Amino acid sequence: MRAARWIGAALLAFAAGVAVAQEIPRSVPPEAAPTGAAKLPHVVLMSMGGTIASRATDRLNITNYGGPGVPRVDPQDWIHDLPELAYIARVTTEDFRAPPGRAAGSEIYDDLVVVARRLNELAREPDVDGIVVTHGTNIMAEVAFYMNLVVKTHKPIVFVGSQRPWTGLSGDGPLNLYNAVRVAASKDAWNKGVLHCMNQNINAARDVMKTSAYRMQTFKGVDVGPLGFADPDRVVFYREPLRRHTFNSEFAGRAYPQVPDVEVAYGYQEAPGYLIDAMVAHGAQGVVIDGIGAGSATASQTEAIKRAQAKGVVVVMTTRTRSGRVQMTPRRAESHIVAGDNLQPEKARLLLQLALTKTHDIKEVQRIFDEY
Amino acid sequence: MKIRFAVCMALLLQGLAFAGERAWAADALPKVRLFTTGGTIQSRASNRDKLMEYNDGPRVTPSELIADLPELAAVADVSYTEISNVGSGNIDTDKLLALARSVNAWLAQPDAAGAVVTHGTATLEETAYFLNLVIRSAKPVVVVGAMHPFSAISRDGPMNLYNSVRVAASREAAGQGVMVLLNDEIDAARDVTKNNTYRVDTFVSRDLGPIGFADSDRIVFYRRSLKRHTSASEFDVGNLKALPKVDIVYGYQEADRAAIDALIAAGARGIVLDDGATAFRDAVRDGQAKGAVFVQSDRKGSGRVLLSQAAAARGVVTADNLNAQKSRVLLRLALTKTSDPKEIQRMFNEY
Repeated sequence: MRAARWIGAALLAFAAGVAVAQEIPRSVPPEAAPTGAAKLPHVVLMSMGGTIASRATDRLNITNYGGPGVPRVDPQDWIHDLPELAYIARVTTEDFRAPPGRAAGSEIYDDLVVVARRLNELAREPDVDGIVVTHGTNIMAEVAFYMNLVVKTHKPIVFVGSQRPWTGLSGDGPLNLYNAVRVAASKDAWNKGVLHCMNQNINAARDVMKTSAYRMQTFKGVDVGPLGFADPDRVVFYREPLRRHTFNSEFAGRAYPQVPDVEVAYGYQEAPGYLIDAMVAHGAQGVVIDGIGAGSATASQTEAIKRAQAKGVVVVMTTRTRSGRVQMTPRRAESHIVAGDNLQPEKARLLLQLALTKTHDIKEVQRIFDEY
Repeated sequence: MKIRFAVCMALLLQGLAFAGERAWAADALPKVRLFTTGGTIQSRASNRDKLMEYNDGPRVTPSELIADLPELAAVADVSYTEISNVGSGNIDTDKLLALARSVNAWLAQPDAAGAVVTHGTATLEETAYFLNLVIRSAKPVVVVGAMHPFSAISRDGPMNLYNSVRVAASREAAGQGVMVLLNDEIDAARDVTKNNTYRVDTFVSRDLGPIGFADSDRIVFYRRSLKRHTSASEFDVGNLKALPKVDIVYGYQEADRAAIDALIAAGARGIVLDDGATAFRDAVRDGQAKGAVFVQSDRKGSGRVLLSQAAAARGVVTADNLNAQKSRVLLRLALTKTSDPKEIQRMFNEY
C-alpha cells in the first residue's frame, strides 16, 4: 500500500523532472528491536496532519508545500524515518487526517469530536501510556486546549507540529516528533493536562500560543512560560498548571457532538456593532469580544452587546493585547460581561461553547472562566 | 523515584498542615510581618526626579513604609522587624542568617499568616532563593523591592509593597515557596533574575515565566513549582553561625586559571564556574585535590547545563538552569551537608 503510493509519487515526480525532497540525515536503523523493547511505554502516535505531515518537491520550499500530486507523510513514514523511536517507546500509529484537498487549518468541529472520542477511548486503555497528536500549527493551540477540557485522563497527551515540512531544509519536524514521543513516554508528564512540545519547550495547552508565522520558536506561553523542556539529557518539568484540566475538568469524558455557535468580534477604533448583530442574527448564542486594551468595547459594540444580551446571548471579553488578564471590575459586572481572564479569544470561544452546553447563567460561566 | 515520592508527600503534608494552621477568624485580618533589609524601596533622595544616586536623603524606616500605605489596614494586620537598612550589595551571610531565623520564628507562630521582606534589587534574587531553601514553613514569603526610590515621581515601591502584603496574606500563595513580587508579577524565587539595570519590569524568569499575578480583582496563580523548597527542603540554618565560602569565576575567551587558584588559596570550599574556559580544567582538578567542589553554570542566563557523563566523570556538578549566583547559594547550603559531588548533583537536580 505504502510502496504503491511511493512508486506513484516517484513516477509523478519523475515525469515532472524532480524528485520528492529528502532532507532528513540518514540514520542506521536498529538491526533488531532493542533489548527490553516490550517493556517500553506504549505511545500512540495520532496524525491529524499538518506541516509535519507535508512534503515538497524541493527542500527549499518551506512555504508552498503539499498540494495535488505531492504525497503526504503517512504516519508509518515517520516511524520509518525515525528508527530511534524504537528505543524510547512502542509506537503505534493512528490516522485521523482530514481528507486530502481540505486545507490545513480548516478543520471542522466534527473532526474535533471524532478525535476527542478516540482520545477518551485510548486514555482508558490500560496498555496505552501516552499519546502524541500531530496537528497543523495554525490552530493547534486551540485544538489542544479543547482536548485539555474534554479528554478525561491522567496520561500525557502531547500535541506536536512543525514549522517546516518534513522535506524542508533544516526541518524541525523530526526532532519535534522525537521529543514529543519522549515526553509522552515520560512518567513525569502525567497529570499535567494536554501538553504541547515543539522547539524543545513543553508548554501547557491552555497557555501556549503561536506567536510567529514562520519562526521555529513560534510557540510560547505569552503570560506564563513553559512547564519544562525536552532536553538531550532528559525530559524535565519545573512547573505544573493550576487551572482545571483533563481528569479534573467537568467537561471531560464525554462527547459534545453539537455545541452552540460562538463567534469572535475584534476590537479596534470604530469597530461597528453591526458585526455582533449579524452574529446573533446568524444564531450565535455567545460572542467573544476581543477587546482593546484591558478589555473594552467601542460605543457601537457596547450597544450591540446590550441588544445581544437582551436575546440571551452570553458575552465574554478578552483582550487583543494577547498578554495580561481581562479583570473583573464592578463596571464589567454591572454590564453582565464575562471576564475572559488571559485566554486568547479562540480559546475563550471553545470554552464558552462548552460552558453553554451546561448553562447560560452569567455567574456560572464566569466561574468556569475563573477556573479553567 | 523514591525521593520524588517523598517530596510529593512532604508537599502534600505541608499543604494540609497549613490548612489546619490558619488561625484567624473571618473578622480578623491575616497577620503579615514586614522584615526590612533596605534597598531602593527604602531610599530617599533630595529631589523627586532623582532616579540614580538617590541615597542623599535619610533612609526610609519600616514604620514610614507602613504609614505611607494606610490601605494596608484593609488587607492585613501588618507589623515589622527591622533586619538592616542597607543596599543589597551590603547583604552578607550574617544578615542572611539573621533574616532566615527571624522569618522562621515569625512563621512558626500559629497566628502568623505570611511574611514580606524588603530588599535591594541587585542581589534580591539571591536572598529570595536562599530563603526558598531554608524557610521551614508553607506560609507565603514574598521578597519585594523597587526600582525607583521612595521619593521619586512614579515610584513603584508602594504598589509593589501593597501587592506583596496582599500575596503574603492570601491563601492561594501557600505552598508556592518564596516569591518575588515587583511590577504586579509573582515569580518563583528559584527562577527569577534581575534582567535590566533601571526598568521597573526588570525581574523576569527567563526560562519559565511568572507563576501568577497580583491584579486588582484578585491574586491569581497559574503555575506551581515542582522543585523542592521551604518546608520540603532538607536545609536548616537554625544553628549555623556561618556558611561555607563559595565564589564565582566568570568564563570568557582566554580566561586563565589565576582566579580559581587565588580563591582556593583564600579558602573557598566551592567554586561556581559561570561558563567554561580551557585553562579552567587543570585548575579545577587541582582545586578538587584540595577538597573544593566545582559547579558548572552558564553565563547565557537561560537554558540548562545538561547532566553529562563527561562532567560527572570529572566530578563537576552541573547547575541545571540555576544561574551562577543562585548556584552559589545552593552550593553553600549543600556544603553544610556534604562535599560529595554525586550527592550535591542530586541536590542541584532537586532544588
